[in-house]
Amino acid sequence: MYVELHARSAFSFLRGASLPEELAACCAGLDSPAMALLDRNGVYGAPRFHLAAKKAGITAHIGAEVTVECGVRIADCGLNELRTPHSALRTSFVLPLLVRNREGYRNLCRLITRMKLRAKKGEGATTLEEVAEHAAGLVCLTGGAEGPLAAAPAEHTAQLLERLVAIFGRQNVYAELQRHLDRQEEARNQAVVELARRFHLPLLATNGVCYAQARQREMLDVLTCVREKARLESAGGLLARNSERYLKPAAEMERLFADLPEAIANTQELSSRLNFTLAELGYEFPRYPAPPGETMMSFLRRRTEEGARRRYHPYHERARRQIERELALIEKLDLAGYFLIVWDIVNFCRDHGILAQGRGSAANSAVCYSLGITAVDPVGMELLFERFLSEERGEWPDIDLDLPSGEQRERVIQYVYERYGKLGAAMTANVITYRGRSAVREVGKVMGFDEAALGRLSALVGAWEWKDPKDTHERLFREAGLDPADARIRKFLELYRSVRDLPRHLGQHSGGMVICQGQLDSVVPLEPAAMPGRVVVQWDKEDCAGMGIIKVDLLGLGMMAVLEDSLKLIRDHYGEEVDLAHLPPDDPDVYAALQRADTVGMFQVESRAQMAALPRLHPAKFYDLVVQVGIIRPGPIVGKMVQPYIKRRQGREPADCLHPSLEPVLRRTLGVPLFQEQLLRMAMIAAGFTGGEAEELRRALGFKRSEARMREVEVKLRRGMTAGGITGQVQDRIVSSIASFALYGFPESHAASFALLAYASAYLKCHYLAAFTAALLNNQPMGFYQPATVIKDAQRHGLRIKPVDITRSDWLCTIERFRIADCGLRISNGAGSKSAIRNPKSEIANEKCLRLGLCYVRGLREEAARAILAERACRPFADIDDLARRVPELHKDEITTLADIGALNFVSPYSALHDTPHSALPIPHSAIRNPQFVHRRGALWQTERAARRAGPLLETLPESDAACPLLRMTPDERLSADFRGTGLTIGKHPMALRRDEMNRLGVTPAARLASIADGRRVRVAGCVIARQRPGTANGFVFLSLEDETGIANTIVTPDSFEKHRIVLVEEPFLLIEGVLQNQEKVISVKARRIQALPAHGAAPPSHDFH
Amino acid sequence: MYACIHCREGSRQALLNLAFTFSPRVEDTATDAVVLDIGGLERLFGSPPALAERIVRLASEAGLRAAIGVASNPDAAVCAARGLGGIAVIPAGQEARLLAALPVSLLFASSADSPRPTAEIEETLRLWGIRTFGELAALPEAALSARIGQEGPRLQKLARGAGCRPLLAFSPVPGFEHSLELEYPVALLEPLFFVLSRLLHELWAGLEARALATDELRLRLHLEDRSADERTFRLPFPLRDHRACLKLMQLELEQRPPQAAVTAVWLAAHPVEPRALQDGLFLPLAPAPDKLEVLLARIANLIGQENVGAAELLDTHRPGALRMKRFTIRPPGSNPQIPQLRNPRPFAKSADSTLLAFRVFRPPLPAQVQARQGQPERITARGVKGNVVSLAGPWRTSGDWWKSDGWDRDEWDVALSDGALYRIYCDRAARAWFIEGLYD
Repeated sequence: MYVELHARSAFSFLRGASLPEELAACCAGLDSPAMALLDRNGVYGAPRFHLAAKKAGITAHIGAEVTVECGVRIADCGLNELRTPHSALRTSFVLPLLVRNREGYRNLCRLITRMKLRAKKGEGATTLEEVAEHAAGLVCLTGGAEGPLAAAPAEHTAQLLERLVAIFGRQNVYAELQRHLDRQEEARNQAVVELARRFHLPLLATNGVCYAQARQREMLDVLTCVREKARLESAGGLLARNSERYLKPAAEMERLFADLPEAIANTQELSSRLNFTLAELGYEFPRYPAPPGETMMSFLRRRTEEGARRRYHPYHERARRQIERELALIEKLDLAGYFLIVWDIVNFCRDHGILAQGRGSAANSAVCYSLGITAVDPVGMELLFERFLSEERGEWPDIDLDLPSGEQRERVIQYVYERYGKLGAAMTANVITYRGRSAVREVGKVMGFDEAALGRLSALVGAWEWKDPKDTHERLFREAGLDPADARIRKFLELYRSVRDLPRHLGQHSGGMVICQGQLDSVVPLEPAAMPGRVVVQWDKEDCAGMGIIKVDLLGLGMMAVLEDSLKLIRDHYGEEVDLAHLPPDDPDVYAALQRADTVGMFQVESRAQMAALPRLHPAKFYDLVVQVGIIRPGPIVGKMVQPYIKRRQGREPADCLHPSLEPVLRRTLGVPLFQEQLLRMAMIAAGFTGGEAEELRRALGFKRSEARMREVEVKLRRGMTAGGITGQVQDRIVSSIASFALYGFPESHAASFALLAYASAYLKCHYLAAFTAALLNNQPMGFYQPATVIKDAQRHGLRIKPVDITRSDWLCTIERFRIADCGLRISNGAGSKSAIRNPKSEIANEKCLRLGLCYVRGLREEAARAILAERACRPFADIDDLARRVPELHKDEITTLADIGALNFVSPYSALHDTPHSALPIPHSAIRNPQFVHRRGALWQTERAARRAGPLLETLPESDAACPLLRMTPDERLSADFRGTGLTIGKHPMALRRDEMNRLGVTPAARLASIADGRRVRVAGCVIARQRPGTANGFVFLSLEDETGIANTIVTPDSFEKHRIVLVEEPFLLIEGVLQNQEKVISVKARRIQALPAHGAAPPSHDFH
Repeated sequence: MYACIHCREGSRQALLNLAFTFSPRVEDTATDAVVLDIGGLERLFGSPPALAERIVRLASEAGLRAAIGVASNPDAAVCAARGLGGIAVIPAGQEARLLAALPVSLLFASSADSPRPTAEIEETLRLWGIRTFGELAALPEAALSARIGQEGPRLQKLARGAGCRPLLAFSPVPGFEHSLELEYPVALLEPLFFVLSRLLHELWAGLEARALATDELRLRLHLEDRSADERTFRLPFPLRDHRACLKLMQLELEQRPPQAAVTAVWLAAHPVEPRALQDGLFLPLAPAPDKLEVLLARIANLIGQENVGAAELLDTHRPGALRMKRFTIRPPGSNPQIPQLRNPRPFAKSADSTLLAFRVFRPPLPAQVQARQGQPERITARGVKGNVVSLAGPWRTSGDWWKSDGWDRDEWDVALSDGALYRIYCDRAARAWFIEGLYD
């Protein structure tokens, strides 16, 4: 019997062509009892191999090929042996190591970690000394073409082998023989056999497997070319000599080694000695250091009790019972440490003023609520604890924390590193696989396609989220000007299909952190991430979960950062302290804005689909918002759950709860099951399931549903219902309703957590528009709209926005006091606008306005901007020459851009004095009366001179003819300069400048569409701010056109889209004629005729969801 | 006065020809413009407008749509031709006024006399909102110079039509080409060689007079059937020996004679600097380069072009893959270039092993092989017959799977009962056996 003990998977990143699952399945198909996976410098594929092997009923041995640096050039010999397929000169070899026991696994992980952490990402090698330190529990093979015996010159092989025997012990070194029908290899084999006899070492046959099937050699050749940045045509000797590195049946291996039967027999003997599998990983979640005299459980109980008393007023019996029930289960499952560690992280956030909120199913837990991890009261909202944690499931609970993205989240991550040590905590990896464009590009390059063809192809592949059934690869190829019948193109297609989903490299997961009691590097190798200061484990999220490693997701949420920044701005500029936990619950302004779909910038409810649903769903209380967040998602839309709910909500259809017993569960969603918790409760009530069984049912029906499992649970469900007296048609309806929405349902707890954030963002937008807008602009990119749209929306709501001005602007956007008297302007609150965001606290009443920050100046480096701010703090800039002289960090193009956007218009010695009337310096009357000292062209005229330094002797000389000979910019020119320099304008909307032309064309402004009857033919025009082709809309394309009055939504049919593809995708301004749909206050134009409006100057960028 | 002929389409040579029709002093200003000095041409062609009209007429007959600008200096003439179109005659002193409306982008078009102003200056003018010559001309000169340097006043001068540069007269390089119309069609090669020899003599006289050599000869034979036979002789180094060239031509024509009788011959040489080289005193003697070239041409004449040269191994696993590259002698002093193979052929190097020489049969010998369980037992081929006494293999190679001519084969080393040691292989795709060679 032969056992393959040396195989690489695609997780050796470009050195293997099969996934671990394929290898395991193939091995089982060959009736082999076991197999070893040795990926290069890691155990990346081990968890997947282990799980697949378990499923296939074979034993998965673990190991790795480790690169060993020799320190000296071992290839100190003839020309032919100097060159190898991998490097010009060999200074390293690859040592295959197999894990014999847990100690061996720990040593292997530590060895790899040590080697990886000191090198750059993707590089690194260990030394024989380090191997010696970590040799216990490992078995060493002498390797194939890249192994130590092949790498060393003939006269040194014996010496090297002796060293290996000394390191691992005679019984743990196997002389490896591979036979790939290659002359050179056979010559080496003869030498190895001779050495093995001399050293009394056992022989071991392996096939150095790189793929499961012989035909996959082609893929390996392609990956080799990708790795070596070569083309197939010119790769020559880099490619494989033949296709023999596949998983061979025992009989074939026995025939190959007929002359050395012991080499085959030894594979079984060695396999029986390898006692380790990943089932005994030895992972342990860290214990929380409870104070003396307390156990973790008693400490958790005390903290929960304290928290509950703070949260619940009064601490009622229901909450008390629920918490007690949860604590009992936590104790039973020994999870107190996990809860305390998450509590500790949340505490850190609270102490450092960092917003943190638990999301996902953790919001079902009253203990999490009491500990301050989540913000939704599960008892009050009747959420179901079993969705979070159940005894039957035998899985770790999942607590995800939302944190403000950016620096704050980084601080929390660094805190975890500090607390558990660099080798005690790490981020989970994210395996980047070949997909769409990357697959086309890399395979195409290897096949030798020219740049133009590659560009055309990759632009076509995966351009849109929606896949037209007609978008076959053949059609795409024809469109790209390539003939799909051509043999080379057919080969490309074949390779492209098989490279998809193969791992490409290891990235970093956005927030998953794993923590371990003791050293994490003895559980899984760690390596540096591309981001400095970050360490990642070699497994991704699913692998970690599969191996039972518990993780805490620290997710960066842009909106959390916006909320946090808003609160700070409100504190500083409004003098108010807003507590997000205690916002007025039913603020009429918030609901009025939501009902009008006046939601640009608000969390989760600003998308086009949300805006279309808001007027119909008409949210009037918090739970409506929870439903709103949960229902407008691709799943429910595809599952056709939205329309029944809207009809019932509008009273056009009676609420039907399927069965009277289900009424308490389904009443609040009007009989339409929307949330996963409802599914669980339905199963519990109707069929008598326990919480754990119900969760099992949800999983069986969820995304990874399998026919067999579904049938199994359905039988169980029906049996339960029949026993409970629910039979016949009602039973069928309940079963079908559970089965259909299980796929799309959303956890209610998650929706509630997000709804809280949505409510908070809406509240801040309605009451503190300046602060909210500033925070939103400072945290871009985020959300659905570009800054240009956010600004226009804020202006329509009456917020005055001031331009970038280097005498005032900070790096970020700030809030300023609005001096009406100084400007002599009459202010109206967005006259004529129907904004709901108008109240006594509005920005006008408070005299707040927003000053754009220097971060919006394109091409201005933060370093240069900070230098300006530092110099400005010393004393104001006398003129542009002075600015250029005192801030030498400013490049010429930066200062020119500043002048072009008008940021230098107010540079004067008095610029800092406007707000300080008690200054000692006399301010000339003219400076106060007319603060605009120079126009943009004047500034440009000056910058050009200032940028050309005249030398120290002459640079302070004033210019003789100070008057600027250049003309002021026209409004069109200013607009162009604004978009060019900042990507947005605070001046008139580009469409406002063309309103006369639009009136002549019979175009209706966006704001007037609401007053036009349904079914009328209209023309709308504007700049495209969003293009969407959602996967759920059957190829329909949604465009949002913005003009100076608001946003007009248009719908383009798939046919029209095909006809006008280029215009729709590329033109910044469009004129669309079509039929107005004005139903239930949802307004859109169904496009019939589409044409481009020739752009005058620059246009704001659009946000395209391709 | 100067006239500029501006033409977007049409070749540069055509423009130059047109200009030389009118004036001997012509400037090759840019690909789309030439400037003529028309001073003193009134008596020949009339007033400047009349001359301009004649140029346009002649250009139109040559299929060119030309615009003519006439002004007191070359730059103003170019600007007028490019910017105003048609026929624009600018009286002296009126330049600034008449050019004022032209777009400044004209100043950034390429011209012969000075490097193109930088894109940076163009961008600065765009930011300033300076769009026309007039606007640029109106800027204060000193202030402009302080901002964009010396280039500013220069551009301003151009914008005012006040350029004062001299004309850079163009003098054409003599062409090294000769042709001969034959009195009667020549069908035989011998008389043709006689004609070629004469033409080469004439060419060489011209080259020698200018101390030049040639590295490329182009021969065009006009044939009786009205077709033309063109051949190019690329020489590996500059040659000055016309006899060697004639020999090369003879060999080439003998190998591929013209398809019909020749009625006219045209011969051109590409002039280059001759090679100046002295052989080293202690270097081994190598054949003279010109002789070697003739020798190679002779061999090619005998055995075919594709079979002459130096064999070069290809970087591939394909057995026996090589290509023929041109044979050259390494110039003294240069380092030998050994092809860098990324995966070299196996090469036994241990001291005690004896090296076997391998004699390759090209092409390989088709063979009949009787095999049992995939292993050859008996081999029959032309001149080879015997039972396999012992064997090693198979050695399998395959590759170029993305091409139609990929290979996949199993090699065996076999000792036959006739006492010889062969390498045989089985082409797995064609299921055919061959003997590849013999171990000596």
